[in-house]
Amino acid sequence: MRGSFWVQRFAQLLITVFCVTFGCSLLVQLLPVSPAEILLPVGSPEERELLTKEIGLDRGPIGYYLKWLGEFVQGDFGDIYYSGGTESVSSRLAVAFPRSIWLMIYTQVLSLAVAIPLGVWSAYRVGKRADKAISNTLFTLSSIPNFAIALILVLILGVRLQWLPTLDYQPYSAGIWEHFKHMIMPVVSLSVGLIAAYTRLLRADMIAALREDYILMAASKGLTDRRILWRHAFRPSSVTLFTSAALNMGALIGGAIVIETIFATYGVGFEVFAAISGRQYIALQSIVGLISIFYVVFNLIVDILAGYVDPRTRDRRVNA
Amino acid sequence: MRKRKYTIPTYFAFAWLGLAVFLAIFGSFLPVDGYQVIHGDFIDSPPLTPGHWFGVDSNGYDIFSGIINGARLSVFIAIVSVGLGGAIGALLGITAAYYRGRYDSFINSTFNVVLSVPNLVLALALVAVLATNVDINEAVPTWRRLVTLIISLTVVIIPILGRIARAATLAWSGREFVVAARSMGMRDRDIIKRHIVPNVLPALIAVGFLAVGVVIIAEASLSLLGVGIPDGASWGGMLARGRNDLEYNPHALYIPIIALAFTVISTNHVGDVLRGGLDRREGRL
Amino acid sequence: MTTMMSISDMYVRFETPFGLLEAVRGVNLEIPAGASVGIVGESGSGKTVMSRAAMGLLSGSNVRREGKVVFNGRELTAMSKEEVRNQFGTGMAMIFQDPMTALNPVRRVGTQISESLRVRLGMDKKQAMQRSAELLSLVRIPDPEAMLRKFPYQLSGGMRQRVMIAIAISCNPELLFADEPTTALDVTVQAQILQLLSDLRRDLKMSMVLVTHDLGVVANHTDFVAVMYAGEIVEQASTTELFANMKMPYTRALLESIPNIEMKSGARLKVIEGRLPNPVDRPKGCGFVTRCTYAQQKCHDEHPPLVDAGNGHLYRCWYPLGHTIARKQ
Repeated sequence: MRGSFWVQRFAQLLITVFCVTFGCSLLVQLLPVSPAEILLPVGSPEERELLTKEIGLDRGPIGYYLKWLGEFVQGDFGDIYYSGGTESVSSRLAVAFPRSIWLMIYTQVLSLAVAIPLGVWSAYRVGKRADKAISNTLFTLSSIPNFAIALILVLILGVRLQWLPTLDYQPYSAGIWEHFKHMIMPVVSLSVGLIAAYTRLLRADMIAALREDYILMAASKGLTDRRILWRHAFRPSSVTLFTSAALNMGALIGGAIVIETIFATYGVGFEVFAAISGRQYIALQSIVGLISIFYVVFNLIVDILAGYVDPRTRDRRVNA
Repeated sequence: MRKRKYTIPTYFAFAWLGLAVFLAIFGSFLPVDGYQVIHGDFIDSPPLTPGHWFGVDSNGYDIFSGIINGARLSVFIAIVSVGLGGAIGALLGITAAYYRGRYDSFINSTFNVVLSVPNLVLALALVAVLATNVDINEAVPTWRRLVTLIISLTVVIIPILGRIARAATLAWSGREFVVAARSMGMRDRDIIKRHIVPNVLPALIAVGFLAVGVVIIAEASLSLLGVGIPDGASWGGMLARGRNDLEYNPHALYIPIIALAFTVISTNHVGDVLRGGLDRREGRL
Repeated sequence: MTTMMSISDMYVRFETPFGLLEAVRGVNLEIPAGASVGIVGESGSGKTVMSRAAMGLLSGSNVRREGKVVFNGRELTAMSKEEVRNQFGTGMAMIFQDPMTALNPVRRVGTQISESLRVRLGMDKKQAMQRSAELLSLVRIPDPEAMLRKFPYQLSGGMRQRVMIAIAISCNPELLFADEPTTALDVTVQAQILQLLSDLRRDLKMSMVLVTHDLGVVANHTDFVAVMYAGEIVEQASTTELFANMKMPYTRALLESIPNIEMKSGARLKVIEGRLPNPVDRPKGCGFVTRCTYAQQKCHDEHPPLVDAGNGHLYRCWYPLGHTIARKQ
């Protein structure tokens, strides 16, 4: 029973990957002009024909997609075409992926590290002044677009105070402090909205959990409020929070386009943007495919973790 | 029942949105300079300069005129996209949830697939494809960019509001009065019109306000990336320009930020208040 | 006989959007040491709120509690939150109505039982687990070692309730509150659980407060009974006296609403018609007046006081059963 659930879940997610990448490849067909013309604006007709063959555009929509898929699963993500030559998508991604992964990890860690105590605390003090202050502040902050926060940070910390560099990325090998110095502003800009969203989710679930009988039961055992909050109420309330955190991972890897552009972090989001604005559709298709695979993997991990955090979900699955 | 009283922030949010909509409609009739008039003598003037109360940016554009003109574009685009996307999304979501079956699972999984692509990536890709000319070296005219932008943002909104409509319909179509209407032989179309739509609409409007915020931010992001309306006419475009000159002219940046933030805070707040009212109504049932 | 707990002049009010809701109105109750006291009433009568307030378990910014509760010679209502907490588990404990919702769904049975042992009695993990297994066999659960590793959702209702009882008695409390301990269970299991509670009370020398809507339960498992209606005690006596000499029409109505094995088949169960009075806006007379077959004009106009029939049998009625004037109809 359990096994068939996972098979079903996995199939569902694979279908998502398929639909997203196939949709991407259809975009190419929707273009009013031949992609070869876009990729090689100054090339000769023979060169263009060669390119059309190479990409598989002469095989029709399905044939084109299957050729791409075949190469994709073998790890060949295609090329980016310049007027002077080509560069493989893999080599670009080898640079961009680690940057995005770090950005995503730091953002999630910071957001959860701030949101969990805030959410637990404001649920505990629900309706009191502290709760209202936290809710209102976060609400206001979360309504400010992340690029606006980024630009304000640049203005204050970068331009005025000159404390932090406003551009570029530095790897660990350049020194841990250098690495973090370049990460602080992008991470903070991305985190503000997430902190508000996570706090809100956790607060709502905690408030519901704190009304449950088992909390009263825990209180009647003579446990301290702190123990009741963390040991008894937090765990059953955290499933939604972690699920939504996992769903955000895909978006953080590929969707931090504006932030990566503002800070010249040049991660995957920037590559997506570059592929779109440079009309590198094969590259775009491969990158989006990879992002959706990440999305799928994180989804599965969360499903597994949710079973540990809340065993009831395991039961539901067996019944499903 | 206790009468619900709006708080001061709610009145403020309504007032701000009212002002933004007013500017969006009547902005071009106001006795304000066109936003592209260059005030050469006032370049980089700070705010509170007489005649240029919000200052002038490093191109010589008056920021006050820019804000008013930007409201026109940003708010117009947002309202049209959310209106269109909401209508299409509601149609798909409501019919899917009402008729169920294969049609429903198709619609629902399509929504899920589209939602799994980050907002901005989707909008960017659509803009890129739709704004490609047959002759790729020819510039795309502004009206076409505008239409492209609106279509792309509409596509982003459809699954967001469509899912809300679907969930609300699922909840309502199980209620006794719908089952009763069905058992009395009422036509499906009339049931949807008389019983489902009036009940789903409030939830949709509440989330619609939040969606307006999403679209305004998305439009500004696209402009910041340089694929929005050219000439930097929207608030996002002003940001993109102001960004280049942070050091000497920070007000060219923070004034549009304030306008954007106020608008999004207001739409989010109004959406929240409406949703809270709905929860209370549901709670009493 | 010493007193385990005495409650005097207890009022509990909730602030609601519709006004102040008076859930408990001037309750006085003594719980003698070693005795079992039943609190009976229909749902909404204030019996659960009363027992939770007595223990000090009601929290929330909208709760107003008045009155005095003395437990074991010490005034609970004057204690700090910490001191009250130190009474829980070792001094008093509570069993809740629905074992489905009162056990934490994400923690194992063993963790939930041993938690009190470790936190309140300072046992180490191994000791606590060992003692938990003993407690589980004390509540007659077969294979206690295996039970320790299970999650509540894997158990039947009766098993869950036994686990909850094991948790409640884990620190040897002197006073056990059992709030409708069998309401959520199958009929066949109800009798077993009640018997278990009675046996445990005798063996562990506990006092017990048994909150229920079922007078039949009270008859077999308590020494004293207090009947609650609309937040007040309306009749109170030793169990034998109450059943021999019922004074309140309401108590009689409650009794008649229980199915009885001696009833002829096809006989109709009596239902108490009408509803409890609105707790926000109480009528000035007797709260039961609109539902009482013996109601007179006086019952509409004046609120009856709690009077003593002489042998400690208290009742709150202008025309108690056995009173000839009331029998006009």
